[in-house]
Amino acid sequence: MNVATMPSKAQPKLRLRNVSKEYVAPRTGQRTLAVSDFTLDVRAGEFLCIVGPSGCGKSTVLNMIAGLDQPTGGDIEMDGHHVRGPGAERGVMFQDYALFPWKSVRDNVGFGLRHGTPGAGLTAAERNDRVNHFVNMVGLAGAEAKFPHQLSGGMKQRVALARLLANGPDVLLMDEPLGALDAQTRMVLQVELLRIWGEAAEEGDRKTVVFITHGIDEAVFLADRVVVMSSHPGRVSAVIDIDIPRPRRESIRSEPRFGQLTDEIWSLIRDEAYQAIA
Amino acid sequence: MVSLMETRTAKELAEVASESDVDRKAGARYPGSVRAQGRFWQARWFIVVRAFSVFIGIWYLVALWVASPIQMPSPFKVLEALIALGRTGELFDHALISATRLVISLVISTLIAVPLGFLMAMNREANAFIDPIVELLRPISGIAWIPLGLFIFGVGGTLPIFIMAYVAFFPLLLNTIDGVKSIDRKLMSAAETMGVSRSARLLHIAVPAALPSVMVGFRIAFASAWAAIIAAELIGSPSGLGFAIEWYRQLLMSPKVFAFIAMIGAIGYLCDLGLRTLQHKLTPWAEGMGIGQ
Ligand SMILES: Nc1ncnc2c1ncn2[C@@H]1O[C@H](COP(=O)(O)OP(=O)(O)OP(=O)(O)O)[C@@H](O)[C@H]1O
Ligand SMILES: [Mg+2]
Repeated sequence: MNVATMPSKAQPKLRLRNVSKEYVAPRTGQRTLAVSDFTLDVRAGEFLCIVGPSGCGKSTVLNMIAGLDQPTGGDIEMDGHHVRGPGAERGVMFQDYALFPWKSVRDNVGFGLRHGTPGAGLTAAERNDRVNHFVNMVGLAGAEAKFPHQLSGGMKQRVALARLLANGPDVLLMDEPLGALDAQTRMVLQVELLRIWGEAAEEGDRKTVVFITHGIDEAVFLADRVVVMSSHPGRVSAVIDIDIPRPRRESIRSEPRFGQLTDEIWSLIRDEAYQAIA
Repeated sequence: MVSLMETRTAKELAEVASESDVDRKAGARYPGSVRAQGRFWQARWFIVVRAFSVFIGIWYLVALWVASPIQMPSPFKVLEALIALGRTGELFDHALISATRLVISLVISTLIAVPLGFLMAMNREANAFIDPIVELLRPISGIAWIPLGLFIFGVGGTLPIFIMAYVAFFPLLLNTIDGVKSIDRKLMSAAETMGVSRSARLLHIAVPAALPSVMVGFRIAFASAWAAIIAAELIGSPSGLGFAIEWYRQLLMSPKVFAFIAMIGAIGYLCDLGLRTLQHKLTPWAEGMGIGQ
């Protein structure tokens, strides 16, 4: 490993350089430029939120970082290495959950630990403890034996969250992870998420999070920086630093700075949001 | 069974019918609810008895009208024959022989068709190679192979097994391919982001994801094979239900012919019921997703 590829404080965790993605429909040959010229550095230990109108390419960007989709242009690096495909160090929580229908809640949460690399070196008891811990954390104790089709939308989302966290990835890629939850549960899990991310820990010990959301206040509450995307094609239209000190408590929601930042971001996407539904 | 029908007035029947409708809705809404399920099953049972009684009634009337015990024996004559054949054990001997052949043929067919289906669904080249052959053979009825089979296997147990395995092969293969192809790509992706190896993804995602469709294929395969066994045994076998039918036909003993036919129907019905139960047990999630039943 030479100096250039060595992870260091200065080097970003994720580096997206002029990334673009064009979909070509297999039959008609119709082309959709979903993302274009997307350049962004995500710092190690950073909590980064992406907001933008529906269909602007947020999920596409996330899938490319995950290695599930290949960019048609540009380059994505993690720790200085070109991203070739998916890996357990980049955990994904999908917008539509992607739970295994034939697995119970417990087995869904433990799937990666049981069959994947995150469970390597753990005893069965340790795996079990970890599964129980995260099942309890998302408030699904008592529903462990249920199957996904027996769960509400919000419960499914919490299973997906527990599954991601149980795998303990280095980078968490989350696509609207709290979107299906009621306001109270969402607020509780936002705080919990900040705790797991390592808000109280040294900056060097934090995980790196890329978090897509439709909630501007959610983005401001959670993020170090908020990326605002515009659509057709999807690109970065602004990056806002959230200079609200950590650890963040519920009370910051009523502070003037919180309102200012929320307004600022809303004014950036308002026009497009209206256009999208016009 | 018949008297159960007669003691109910039309009004009562209507009430029972509407009640069972409500039960069915309740059962659909709360599939896990024990109470709803119990009453639901009762209603189902009643519907079966009612349909069966009407069938027997019509049969009886037709038999009266035809008035020829050889062309159309009455249900009571057939019941007598059933009891007589049951006493001597002949009925069960032939049924056991046929059922054994059925099981052997389904095992052979499953062992070939299911892995082949996985291969064809996941490997483009394998599919390009095998698919034309399958499509060429598929329209050829199993019965068409009986004359050739007689040359190759002669009269015996092998011919019916071959014919049934052949007939069962196609629904199993096509449903397996279908099941594997319709696996949600997202689930594979999710597993990839958890560092799950290719072989583990095959075992823990592809196999369970395809299972509901394979089960549907298996039920169709069973029904086709069971339908084909009679033709195969009629001509190519010295034993089994099909042979017994042909034997008693030549002796002009129609009630016994009908008794064996009834046995075929009963075994087919019960096996399908069993397979359906197995399907519910093995793939409970598929019902929630709207497949199955
Ligand atoms: N597989 C695909 N084939 C063709 N076009 C696609 C495909 N996936 C996404 N797109 C297009 O790419 C664009 C971006 O989609 P994407 O799912 O990334 O949006 P999004 O920002 O996540 O939206 P939302 O907030 O509604 O989830 C959309 O215009 C969509 O139609
Ligand atoms: Mg999306």
